[in-house]
Amino acid sequence: MLTLSGITRRYGDATALDGLSFTVPDDAYVSLLGASGSGKTTLLRLIAGFEEPDAGQIILDGVRLDGQPPHRRDIGFVFQNFALFPHLTVEENVAFGLKYRESNAVASAAEVAERTQAALELVGLEGFGHRGVGEISGGQRQRVALARTLVTEPRIVLLDEPLGALDANLRDRMCDELRAIRERLKVSFLHVTGSETEALTMGDTVAVLAGGRIVQSSGSRALFEAPLNASAAKHLNAWNILSGTVEKDKLRTNAGILPVPGSLSDGQSAQIALRFDRIDVSDAAQVPEGRHHFEARFLTGEFNGPTALSFFRTADGALVQVVDHLSSPRLPRLEEGRTYALHYRPEEVLLFEGAEG
Amino acid sequence: MTAMTTDLPLTSEKSPATVREATDRRRALMLLSPGVIWMTLFMLLPLGMVVYVSFWTQTTFAVNSTLTTASWERFLSSPTYLGAIGTTLRIWAIVLAATLLVGYPVALFIGLFVKNRTVQTALLVACVIPFWTSFLIRVIAWRPMLGTEGAINVILQKLGIISEPLTFLLFSEFSVLVGMTQIYCVFMVGPITFMIARIDESVIEAARDLGASFGTIFRRIVLPLSMPGVIVGAIFVSVMVLGEFATAASLSGRKVNLLGNIIVSQVGSLKWAFAAVAGVVLTIIITAVITLALRVVDLRKEM
Amino acid sequence: MDVRMLRPALALYTGAFLAFLYGPMIVLAILSFQGPNGGPQFPIQEWSTYWYRHLLGLTETSRVSQLPVGDSLLRSLALAFMTTVVSVVLGTMSAEAFRTRFRGSGPVFYLVILGMMVPGVLVGLGMALLSNVLGIERAWWGTAFVLHVVYTYPFAFLVMLAIFNRFDRSVEEASLSLGVSPAQTFRRVTFPIIFPGVLSAALFSFTLSYDEFSRTLFTAGRDLTLPLSIYGTFSVEIYPNLFAFGVLTTLFSFTLLVIYGLLMKRFTGTRAGRFSGQEAVA
Repeated sequence: MLTLSGITRRYGDATALDGLSFTVPDDAYVSLLGASGSGKTTLLRLIAGFEEPDAGQIILDGVRLDGQPPHRRDIGFVFQNFALFPHLTVEENVAFGLKYRESNAVASAAEVAERTQAALELVGLEGFGHRGVGEISGGQRQRVALARTLVTEPRIVLLDEPLGALDANLRDRMCDELRAIRERLKVSFLHVTGSETEALTMGDTVAVLAGGRIVQSSGSRALFEAPLNASAAKHLNAWNILSGTVEKDKLRTNAGILPVPGSLSDGQSAQIALRFDRIDVSDAAQVPEGRHHFEARFLTGEFNGPTALSFFRTADGALVQVVDHLSSPRLPRLEEGRTYALHYRPEEVLLFEGAEG
Repeated sequence: MTAMTTDLPLTSEKSPATVREATDRRRALMLLSPGVIWMTLFMLLPLGMVVYVSFWTQTTFAVNSTLTTASWERFLSSPTYLGAIGTTLRIWAIVLAATLLVGYPVALFIGLFVKNRTVQTALLVACVIPFWTSFLIRVIAWRPMLGTEGAINVILQKLGIISEPLTFLLFSEFSVLVGMTQIYCVFMVGPITFMIARIDESVIEAARDLGASFGTIFRRIVLPLSMPGVIVGAIFVSVMVLGEFATAASLSGRKVNLLGNIIVSQVGSLKWAFAAVAGVVLTIIITAVITLALRVVDLRKEM
Repeated sequence: MDVRMLRPALALYTGAFLAFLYGPMIVLAILSFQGPNGGPQFPIQEWSTYWYRHLLGLTETSRVSQLPVGDSLLRSLALAFMTTVVSVVLGTMSAEAFRTRFRGSGPVFYLVILGMMVPGVLVGLGMALLSNVLGIERAWWGTAFVLHVVYTYPFAFLVMLAIFNRFDRSVEEASLSLGVSPAQTFRRVTFPIIFPGVLSAALFSFTLSYDEFSRTLFTAGRDLTLPLSIYGTFSVEIYPNLFAFGVLTTLFSFTLLVIYGLLMKRFTGTRAGRFSGQEAVA
C-alpha cells in the first residue's frame, strides 16, 4: 500500500501540491484525474523520487520512500513520451533493468533472455525483440515501455498519461490491455490522466486532483454520480455548477433564484450541481408539475454520435449544458436564440457549501 | 537523533526537497570544480602574474620583484610603444570592417538565397575547410601570392595591366590586412549565416505579399535579425585580431608592429617587465571591446 | 538594383569569396612542385617532387637545410592527444554540471569561455612569468599542455552543452526507475547517447591543439612543437619545402577528418532510425 500524507511541493512562489494526502491500495487500478498544470505529473515524480517533497511523507508498505534516491525505490514509471533507450533494440530495452540494476541484478544471460521474452509476450510483442525502437509504431513503443517496466517487477507502477501520445483507436485498445495486464500481475497501477473518460474507464478508484490536493477519491461510479464537492464535479465534465449566495433557503445564482435541499443560513455561499443528462427542456409555459426550473436561451447544439450536447445561456450569463441520449431522446426540437425552460427533479440537485473553489 | 524516529515532522528536520537540492548542488559543484580550478590556476593566475610583473623592476637581462612604475612610465612615454597601440587599434578596426563587408554578402547569399539545405551546408563546409590547414601555413601562403614575383603580379603583368610589379602588395600593412581578412572572415560568415538562416521564411513572404521591396525587407527584417550574428562574429574577430602577431611578423617585413609583436620581441630580449606592460595594455583593450559587445548581446543565449 | 539581379550577383560574389579563401593555398600547392633550383615564387623552373623528397630527407645534401619537423610532429601529436582527453573530460563534466541550476552559473560560464577568448600570447606570457617565479622548467608536456587545455576545454564545453540541451532527461529517469544506479545510468544510457557529441568535442580539441602556436611560443621550453618549427622558418628565407610541408599537413588533417566522419557514421548512421524514434515523440 502506498500512502502519501501532507505532501507539499513548491516551485519558487508557486505551490504545485499543497498538503496532499492519498492512498493507493494493493492490487488496484487507480486513476488520478487532473487538469493540465494541476500537479499530477509532479505527484508521480515525487513518488518515483525524481523530485522530493518540501513537506510530507511517502510511505510504501510501511517504509518511508521520500529521501531515498529513485533507483532504490523499486517503483516502475511509464513515461508519456515512453523514454525508450534510443541506442538499444527492443529486447535490450526490456532486458536493461534486469541486467544493470543495482540490487538483484540477474547475472544469468539465459534467465534475462527468458524473462525478457515473457515480458514481450505479456505485452504482445513476440518477434519484435531485434527491432530498433525507431523502427516500431507508437503503440508498440508504448508496449515496450510497459514491458521494460514490468519485467523488473516493481512494487507499484506509475503511468504518466500513458495513452496521451496514441491515436484514439489505439487508446481504446490499450485501455483494455492495460487493465488485463495489471490483473494478471496483481501489482497496483497509478494512472495519471487529464481525460475524465479515460480516468473513469480505467480506474477501480478514481482520484481527482485540484488545487494541489486530492478533492475526492472513490469508485468511478460513485464519483461520477455523486461528486462530493464542486471541484470534483467540475473535472467530470458532466455537471453544471451554479454558484451563489443563500437567501431565505434559496440560492441566488446567475441562473435565477433556485430552491435548495436542506436549510442554510442567509448570506452563506453555496453551489449547486446539475448533471447534464438530468435536465429536461420545454417551453416556458409547459414546465411539468413538481419540477424546479429556470429559463435560458438556446445557443447551439453539438452532435457527437450517441449523444447530443445543447448549450444554453441564462439572462445573467451562466452557461448550461444539457445532454440528450439519442437512443431515448427527451428534448424537443430547439430553435437557436429562443428561450426555454430548463427543468429537473428537485432530488437531482447536489448542494455544496462554501464559495467557488 | 531520536527525533528521526517520530512520525511528526519536526522543524529541525530538513525536508527531503532541501536535502535533494543540496546533494544536486554539491554534485554540480564537484563536477565543476576541476574545470574551475584549472582555469583559475592556468589562466587567471598567469594573467594576474602579467599585471604583477608589469610593476617589477627591469634590469638589462632580468627582472626583480621590487615594485616600480618605471616600465609603465617608459612604455607610456615611448612613441614606439604608443605607436604600437595605435597600429593595433587601426589594424583591428580595418580588419573588423573588412571581414564584415566581405563576409556579410556571403552570409546573406548562403542564409537567405540558398534554399536547399544540402547546398547550404556544403557552402558552409567549403568556408570552413581552409581551417584544416595549419594557421601558419595559411599565413605563409600569401607570400607566393603577393610577392613581387607572386601570382598576382605575374597575372597582372601577363594581362598587360601593369608593366612593373606592384611592390606594396607584400611586406606592407596591406599584406597584413589582406591576410587577416582572409583568415578571419569565416568567423564573421558563420554566425551571421546562422542567424539569417533562422529567420522564418513566412515572415519574409508575408512582407513581400504586403508589397515590401527587397530593400525594405532587408532593412526592416533581415538586418535587425542578423545583428546578434554580427556581434558574435565581431567578438570572435576582435579577440583574435587584437592578440595577433604571427601574420604581422610573417607578412609585414617588420613594418607593422602590433602589441602582440612588442610582447614577443620584448620576451625575446628578456625584457619581461616591458612585455608585461604591453600585455596589460592589450588586456585592457580587449576587455573594453568585449564588454562593449556584450552590452549588445548576451553571449550565453546566442550559443 | 533590380532584385532579380541580386541572386546571381551574390552567387558570383560568393564564388569570388571562395576563390579568395582558397587561392593562396592553391598557389602554394602548385609551387610545392617547384624544381630543385627554383625559389618560393613563379615561374616554375621545372615540375618535380624534389621538395617533398627534401622534406622527408630523401635528397642528397642541398643548399637548403631540412625542415626540423620529425620529432616536433610526434610531440605535437602527443600534446594534441593529451589535450583532447583532458578537455573532453573537463568539458563533459562541466556541461553535465550545468544541467543542474545553481547560483553563480553565469560567472562560471564566462570564466570557462574566457579561455577561448583570451589571446594566446597573453596567457603564454603569464605562464612563462609564473614558471620563472616558481622555478618550474617550461616544457611542452607541462606549461604548454595546461595552456592548450585552457584554450580547447571551452570549445569542448560548448559542444557538450549543446548536446545536453537536446538531451531528453526522461531517458535517464527511466533507467533510474528501473533500479539502475546513477553511475551505471551514465555509462549505459547517457554516455552512448552523447557519444557523437564527445567525438565532435574531441575533434575540435585535437585540431585546435595540434595547430596551436601562440600559447606554445613562450611555454614549450627547449623541445619545439610542429607549429613552432614552422614559425622558426619565418624569420629566415623560405623555400618550397615549406610549401610541400603545408600540402602534406593539410592532407593529414583531411585524413583525420575522414576518420572522424567514418566514426560518426558508425555511431549515428546505423542507428539513425532508432534516434529518430526518440525525437518523434519528444
